[in-house]
Amino acid sequence: MNRKIAAALKRDLTSWILLGPAVVCFAVVLWQPLISGLTLSFFETKGYDAVRFVGFKNYESIVSNSEFAAALKNTFSYTSWSLVIGYFVPLITAIILNEMVHLKAFFKFACYFPTIIPSMATALLWYFMFNPGKNGVLNSLLGFAGLPASQWLQNQKLVIPLIVLTMTWRSFGGTMLIYLASLQSINQDIYEAASIDGAGFLAKIRNITLPHIAGTAGLMLIMQIIGVFQIFQEPMAMTGGGPNNASLSIMLSSYYYAFRYFDAGKSMAAGAIAFAILAILTIAYRLASARIGRGGGIA
Amino acid sequence: MKRFRDKRTGILSFMDLKSHKGIAVYWLMFAILALMALICFLPPLWVIISSFKSPEELMKVPASLLPEKFDFNKVIDTWNKLGYLRYYWNTAVLAAGSVFFAVMVNGLAGYVLSCLKPKGSHLVLSLIIWTMLMPNTLSMVPLFKNMVDLPLIHISLINTFWPMWICAGAGAFNTLLFKNSFDSIPESLIEAAKLDGCSNLRIFTRIVLPLSIPIIMVVCIFTVNGAWGDFLLPYLVLTEPDKFTVMVHVFTAKTVMALDVQLLSLVFAIMPPIVLFFVFQRYIIAGATMGGVKE
Repeated sequence: MNRKIAAALKRDLTSWILLGPAVVCFAVVLWQPLISGLTLSFFETKGYDAVRFVGFKNYESIVSNSEFAAALKNTFSYTSWSLVIGYFVPLITAIILNEMVHLKAFFKFACYFPTIIPSMATALLWYFMFNPGKNGVLNSLLGFAGLPASQWLQNQKLVIPLIVLTMTWRSFGGTMLIYLASLQSINQDIYEAASIDGAGFLAKIRNITLPHIAGTAGLMLIMQIIGVFQIFQEPMAMTGGGPNNASLSIMLSSYYYAFRYFDAGKSMAAGAIAFAILAILTIAYRLASARIGRGGGIA
Repeated sequence: MKRFRDKRTGILSFMDLKSHKGIAVYWLMFAILALMALICFLPPLWVIISSFKSPEELMKVPASLLPEKFDFNKVIDTWNKLGYLRYYWNTAVLAAGSVFFAVMVNGLAGYVLSCLKPKGSHLVLSLIIWTMLMPNTLSMVPLFKNMVDLPLIHISLINTFWPMWICAGAGAFNTLLFKNSFDSIPESLIEAAKLDGCSNLRIFTRIVLPLSIPIIMVVCIFTVNGAWGDFLLPYLVLTEPDKFTVMVHVFTAKTVMALDVQLLSLVFAIMPPIVLFFVFQRYIIAGATMGGVKE
């Protein structure tokens, strides 16, 4: 009996030793920072160390700051623009691509191509495309069409949609492939039966295709909202948050608090506000999808 | 139009494609995709072509389509002058270490969670799943702090590649990918090895890993691509220019260098991922849909 317990202990011990490196990595990179970040947001900080507990003072101070108010508003603006510009592009592309009998593999390759370009490089690449001078490539194209040159990223009204366009360009291919996998799992007999019953192209999309991919579409919606809400590198590289804070996001503002103003407490308060909004959203989505009974996703 | 007659998939059936309307809809969709393919390829292509232009030519209004001459000496000169070999080497070391950590640390974790399942490991598994669902908006400062002064052992990892390697070891998604893949390895195989006196680690390196080559390939390719494009953490922890990775250099080169040099830097930065994609497109496109199985 004793030997059995010893053997089980030994077995578990070696297992835990093998799991150890991963637990250490996760703890250092994700788990400890999460707790420590939340704690820091309630402290007055010096350097990156907590000095004095101040309750919600960091939160009060950033919420009353006009720069952060702009960041909060812009972040919602990024998210809604990304739904307008980016949400349907991968869905529609997948439906169209699934119909192709010519060059299907090539189109798949082409649509995924931008995704492999690093996000920082993509931001810089489009920064050059959006050169506001008359020598810029897009302004030259406008010139050929007889249109006046645009200020592009320096136009306060255009800057967020343009950054969203950049992100959509880079990431639609990956989402499109996920939709495509879901589309390919539709039983072909259903389409045939519908054809025999005289259903047209649009009727088939509405009654067969869309219901089938609704679960995936819901999951992609929440993933996109969570992803775009944390936008940060693109405005950092393309505009630095300008012009006049018109493209400043919550996470960029959090970054500036930490590494430009060296105020870690306020930086973490900004991060905590973003965290709370996203956590509420995620939980709401889970509850909603559990009620509908799809469980969300194709897994 | 044999292909139309054989079409058995999708919404438009071969029946629909007999009518003029069906054929028109098909080619309209084809045209849309062709346009999208152009939009996907042209911007990087434009940067690559423009990087050959001289600074004066880049200022021309309207922008010229092709450079006056393709001067490869200029490319080599800029490469040498900026010391790009150094940045490529740094990024390669970063990527190699990340691959090692992603495969060994996450692979071992997936193996323990899938095959060995010691008491209490389900807790670690649910923590990892929760980590993946959590937004990551609070970690910037504490993570940086941990890297400046590692908890408990108090050493600084600034200007080393360890911070990025440790991050590669904390890949929740890769861990679950490995776990799901290892779940399909027959238990009898592992039991047999145990009866023969194989240690847990040896079972991992001799049985589990060799049986999982495709998934390892996918993880390797995505880790290399991710490490190549990684920006924020390298930017924060690598402060000495001779430790810079390609992406950090490209970002810091923005605004301080001539436009044509900036464009060339960008080309140097995007060429390796593009080559990687052309070589491994099958693996990459197959791996991309694994992202859909996130739960």
